[in-house]
Amino acid sequence: MSGENTFSQHCSWNSVFLCFDLFFIVRMFVFQRLQPVNRSRMSGSPAVRVSIESSCERQVQEVSLDGVETYVPPLSMSQNLAKLAQRIDFGQGSDSDEEDLNGESRESEWSKQNPDEEGPVKFQPCLWPWDSVRNNLRSALTEMCVLHDVLSIVKEKKYMALDPVSQDPTVAKAPQVFQLISKKKSLATAAQVLLKGAEKLSKSVAESQEQRRQRDFNAELLHLRSQWKLRKVGDKILGDLSYRSAGSLFTHHGTFEVIKNTDIDLDKKIPDDYCPLNVQIPSDLEGSAYIKVSIQKQAPDIGDLGTVNLFRRQPKARPGAQAWHSKLEAAQNVLLCKEIFAQLSREAVQIKSHIPHIVVKNQIISQPFPGLQLSISLCHSSVEKKNQRTSPDKTKPDDHLYVLEHNLHQLIREFHKQTLSSSVMPHPASVPFGPKRLRLAGPMAYDKAEISSLQPSDGLLEKIIKQAKHIFLRSRTARTIDCLASRIEDPQIQAHWSNINDVYESSVKVLITSQGYEQICKSIQLQLNIGVEQIRVVHRDGRVITLSHQEQELQDFLLSQMSQHQVHAVQQLAKVMGWHVLSFSNHVGLGAIESIGNASAITVASPNGEYAISVRNGPESGCKVLVQFPRCQAKDLPKSDVLQDGKWSHLRGPYKEVHWSRMEGRNFVYKMELLMAALTPCP
Amino acid sequence: MEAPPVTVMPVTGGTINMMEYLLQGSVLDQSLDSLLHRLRGLCDNMEPESFADHELVYLLKGQQGNPFILRARRSLAHPTAPWHLRYLGQPEVGDKSRHALVRNCVDVSASHSLPDFLNEMGFRMDHEFVAKGHIFRKGVLKVVVSKLSRVLVPGNTDNTEPLSLSYLVELSVLAPAGQDTVSEDMRSFAEQLKPLVHLEKIDPKRLM
Repeated sequence: MSGENTFSQHCSWNSVFLCFDLFFIVRMFVFQRLQPVNRSRMSGSPAVRVSIESSCERQVQEVSLDGVETYVPPLSMSQNLAKLAQRIDFGQGSDSDEEDLNGESRESEWSKQNPDEEGPVKFQPCLWPWDSVRNNLRSALTEMCVLHDVLSIVKEKKYMALDPVSQDPTVAKAPQVFQLISKKKSLATAAQVLLKGAEKLSKSVAESQEQRRQRDFNAELLHLRSQWKLRKVGDKILGDLSYRSAGSLFTHHGTFEVIKNTDIDLDKKIPDDYCPLNVQIPSDLEGSAYIKVSIQKQAPDIGDLGTVNLFRRQPKARPGAQAWHSKLEAAQNVLLCKEIFAQLSREAVQIKSHIPHIVVKNQIISQPFPGLQLSISLCHSSVEKKNQRTSPDKTKPDDHLYVLEHNLHQLIREFHKQTLSSSVMPHPASVPFGPKRLRLAGPMAYDKAEISSLQPSDGLLEKIIKQAKHIFLRSRTARTIDCLASRIEDPQIQAHWSNINDVYESSVKVLITSQGYEQICKSIQLQLNIGVEQIRVVHRDGRVITLSHQEQELQDFLLSQMSQHQVHAVQQLAKVMGWHVLSFSNHVGLGAIESIGNASAITVASPNGEYAISVRNGPESGCKVLVQFPRCQAKDLPKSDVLQDGKWSHLRGPYKEVHWSRMEGRNFVYKMELLMAALTPCP
Repeated sequence: MEAPPVTVMPVTGGTINMMEYLLQGSVLDQSLDSLLHRLRGLCDNMEPESFADHELVYLLKGQQGNPFILRARRSLAHPTAPWHLRYLGQPEVGDKSRHALVRNCVDVSASHSLPDFLNEMGFRMDHEFVAKGHIFRKGVLKVVVSKLSRVLVPGNTDNTEPLSLSYLVELSVLAPAGQDTVSEDMRSFAEQLKPLVHLEKIDPKRLM
């Protein structure tokens, strides 16, 4: 009989198998007491029946004083099993072993005796009286064999290790330990994966930094091509700096060459500003250049133009911009400045003006107004000379006219645009390219004047001179008005400059008022339109006066207007005070002759007609105020024989001059108001 | 006294003595858009301009020899623009190495009474057509892409019928005689249009 086989059948009954990834544990209930088989008790008492049914009722653990019963908590399956296993007395079981052996012998005997009866007995078990005995014996034998197998396996320790029966807490703990171990392990694997990833990332970052440092030539070239025009000539790469595609007609080729920067030792540390691409620009475009426009006064008394004193700094390279980019931009700027200057000097030579323009080396000198000198110069400093140049620049006052410099750049771009747009497509299409006016001239039978009228009017130089004149005239006008305003307190002069100007025209509104009487004295409002050569003054009543660029003219005009304002103010005041205007004249033909303009005069009478005030105001002579008294008040008047009657005493008598400077009051109109008030009788 | 003999040869010398360098090709209507797109990229940075012209070809037949041909052209899109009278000489023979057709060319702008004037001089209108298309420029190079249409009723330019299903492409330069570098430029420009249109030196005499 095979013990192994039986064991395998019963192993599941005795032990619990738990399977894990790495471990395989068998837990068994160990027989606490193993006794050798006692042959002498073989034929003893029958087999003990072990009942493993649990009672339905729960055991009472304790009855408290108030009669509440505390039950013992029911045992779990494994607890129950362990408990039952502990209760087994294997010593008693030896009887069944004996019986087994006994039975075996008996069975063998019986099988020897009735070999032929075995088959039918199986089918008719109840018929045979020894059937229960035989079954018991058979089962006892099986148990015995199992025990034998178990013992042999335990002894061998090859197949199985037996542990003492563990108590319940350990049973519960064991899976936790394994959970912990498995958790720890999976965490470790996860951490490993993360670590690997981090390592890869840091490696790639380091690589990209390395790559950035060693930007390859082609990427740089691609970058260059996206911003500059390049073409390949032979084995060279040439670029175009010129503004030709934008419409420039400047003859400079403006070509730069792209060079691969290979003179670097790859073993050594690469400097931060290393760039594998370098550009070679023509030597005459190196360094930096700018156009300087300034207006110098030959006589020191001509107004200050209010130019800003700014030290010209070298433009700082933008962070992130490549070295070649700033180099090319600088070269292109040099080229543009050269083009502007070439254009200006060509025009300076061609244009015939009353005072010829002078072109000396890198400077063009022109005289927009007498005693004024406009100089436009091209300052080009190459890199080596820079140090020598900057030091004298610092000491000398900087008189740049930045607006004009900016406008020059703007003008040349407009010029470019014009050349681009002037080449309109011919119609019909077969006509050769060329200026439209030439095509029209023949069929339309144009004369010379008409042809020239089709031509673009002004050149760059003429435009910039006009702008310079305007700027000069404007700043001098502002200065004149400011001087007058600060010099003369009564009347006040206000200037409102418009913010939006044309390059050739700007306007200012001049108001002449008296302090405290702004509402009633609004007679003088002037609009000054400052042009290139002259100033047009538009009076409030629509009169237009044209003044030349001479400063004195404007000043005289404003002074005469201010003097007129005073008389106008008296007129307005008389209306308010209820006085009557007897006579008014802007330009008095009598009296002393004024050097500037004319004196104006007004005579007003008090409401009851007793008094009269006569005011004469001249720009130069100032004001003179006379009051006429009634005859009755004139004491020193000789009695007339004719005017005996008392009614004649109301006739107005002689004039008396008012010591105007001694009058109380902060300004002319206020004084006049006080005077009028004093002469008005109380009701 | 004898009147000076009337020559059929144009005046030569000075600025008048200009030569036209010409390359011609054609493109089917379907591929017109891609050609225009290409030309817009290659040519000068200008707004693409279309045109519509009416051309009249006048003949003056002498007693012997070839008739004298003048081409009068006006713009339909710009009616106020002057007329254009053009004389085109015979293509220069010889020099196979030259890449373009070269012929003498005289351009004159004229007033609107040109047809009457030509009729009075004894010219007779041979044929007329309407050309509509687009004109491009790259420096001195002129590219004209045009559709030629037959005028069904003489003088009525509204009633026309296309001559073919393709567009005529002409690349031309006006230059003084002997400037063969121009033809080099033309050739390289024609190369750039190569897959779309093949511009070639076409001798009109062989087609006749």
